[in-house]
Amino acid sequence: MPVLSYKGLDAYYEVAGDERAPLVAFVNGLTMRAGHWGPYAEALAKAGLRALTFDLFGQGMSAKPILQLDFRENEDLLIALLDRLGVEKAYICGISYGGVIVLELPIRFPERIKGIIPMSTFSELDAILERVSFNFYDDMVRGSFDMLLNWLTVYNFSPRKLAAVAADFASAKRSSAGANDLYAIQNLMESLKNFKGFTSELAAIECPALIMNGEYDALTPRHFHELLRHKIKRSRLMLIQHAYHAFSLEFPEITQRLLIDFVRQVESGRWKGDQTVWVAEDRADARPLAFPCPGDHTRCIPFPKAPGAKTPKFYSPDDSE
Amino acid sequence: MIAMLPGLATIGELKAAAKEHFRARGLGGDDQCRIALLIQAIKSANAMILAKVELQALDWWAYRLLHDQYFKETEMATLLGRTARWTLNPAVYWDAARITMKLWQDGGIARHLTALFVPSHRFFEYLALSHAFMAEIRFLPLLPTTWDLTTPFLFALNEIEEENGRQIQAQIRLLKDVKAPAIAPAERERIVEEQRRIVLDLFAEFLRSMLAAA
Repeated sequence: MPVLSYKGLDAYYEVAGDERAPLVAFVNGLTMRAGHWGPYAEALAKAGLRALTFDLFGQGMSAKPILQLDFRENEDLLIALLDRLGVEKAYICGISYGGVIVLELPIRFPERIKGIIPMSTFSELDAILERVSFNFYDDMVRGSFDMLLNWLTVYNFSPRKLAAVAADFASAKRSSAGANDLYAIQNLMESLKNFKGFTSELAAIECPALIMNGEYDALTPRHFHELLRHKIKRSRLMLIQHAYHAFSLEFPEITQRLLIDFVRQVESGRWKGDQTVWVAEDRADARPLAFPCPGDHTRCIPFPKAPGAKTPKFYSPDDSE
Repeated sequence: MIAMLPGLATIGELKAAAKEHFRARGLGGDDQCRIALLIQAIKSANAMILAKVELQALDWWAYRLLHDQYFKETEMATLLGRTARWTLNPAVYWDAARITMKLWQDGGIARHLTALFVPSHRFFEYLALSHAFMAEIRFLPLLPTTWDLTTPFLFALNEIEEENGRQIQAQIRLLKDVKAPAIAPAERERIVEEQRRIVLDLFAEFLRSMLAAA
């Protein structure tokens, strides 16, 4: 089992694919483990790319600090892992909690990042996300880890998926509870205690960005991703049909194809980071993979977009424009 | 003398072997008895240390947390006693006594019985030790996830491990938030790691002896 010792803490990681190929590093969401990205690592290796998966401090098989954990330590850890592998520049993909790390890395380490794929994430909190995050935390510490998983599950998956796995639901939750430690996840959550929005800093991101958001993601809804699209110059926003918060788990084949296609486009100089909005096809074998979003993507009511009309801008208190 | 298990050097390897042990053999009377005696010993020791909080003036929030834990630990210490299938195998009890002695000796339980709860080196040792009891001694992750948790023993075990998640909040808040300028952050980290290793070593010894007896 490969382990990097960083500041006295052991970090568990895995690498797949040809060591000369472009590398994509995957950053876990809050209760994920490196193993969740296993099918992605396999697909990337088959596509001639390289994948790095790892457990953040506090997760899975990495060290679980008990006292303070600085949120940025996990960003520093990823850079240390790239150093260990001798990788100068990499693509970084991450979801939810891990998506925040993905967004901060090209601001802090622009010279190390080739492209980013932030999924189901945010650069600031609104009043609802702030309240929901507090509820997650409060229910976990006053209730149980099981209660946190109950909440995450209903945000993460579609009704169809939940119905399909209903019989195995309790077993899956116990597997997650067994692999995680409440105090360590609590520590990860507390590392964001003093989180301050950094939307205004997104303009510093120069690298290509494929932003992905599930059609029905109620935890980190469209307007968080709309902010990213507006601020990151070389970005595109990709909407995943029928998907909720954890679409990377529910629709892995579609997500993998989009990800591989993005890396290939950037590598070949074909990437058009024109801040446009796209809808991914709902079949992984569809060609083309996505089509331009025909309506107003910021609304749930499918109003048509008037010809030539600009997309309404989402209000952000952090917005300096 | 407990037979050594060659190749099982780390706690991770011992946990993996214990998972396989439970998957293949189920949870028989000997194992239920071992688990019950270990948890009773730990909960009783912690309750004994916490008892002094009733005689000592503390800030309200710290008192509330430790007072609650004292009564909860007393309750939890008895739960498995009422649901375990007790074995007639005397070796299980000899072994349990040996592990309880290791708990008292390595954990320095006696040192904590009389020391006051004040922001001191010893108080931090106690907090780190009791944090590790609740964080590291976990049996549910070692059992197959398909097992029915409504049987009396597993129901009680699950109840205890869930309650640990709530009770550990006292240790987390006190370890993180109590102001003790004399104890530098690096020293706090060292204390936490030292006490965690004591508990991991105890748990490893428990698993090793259970596997060796199988």
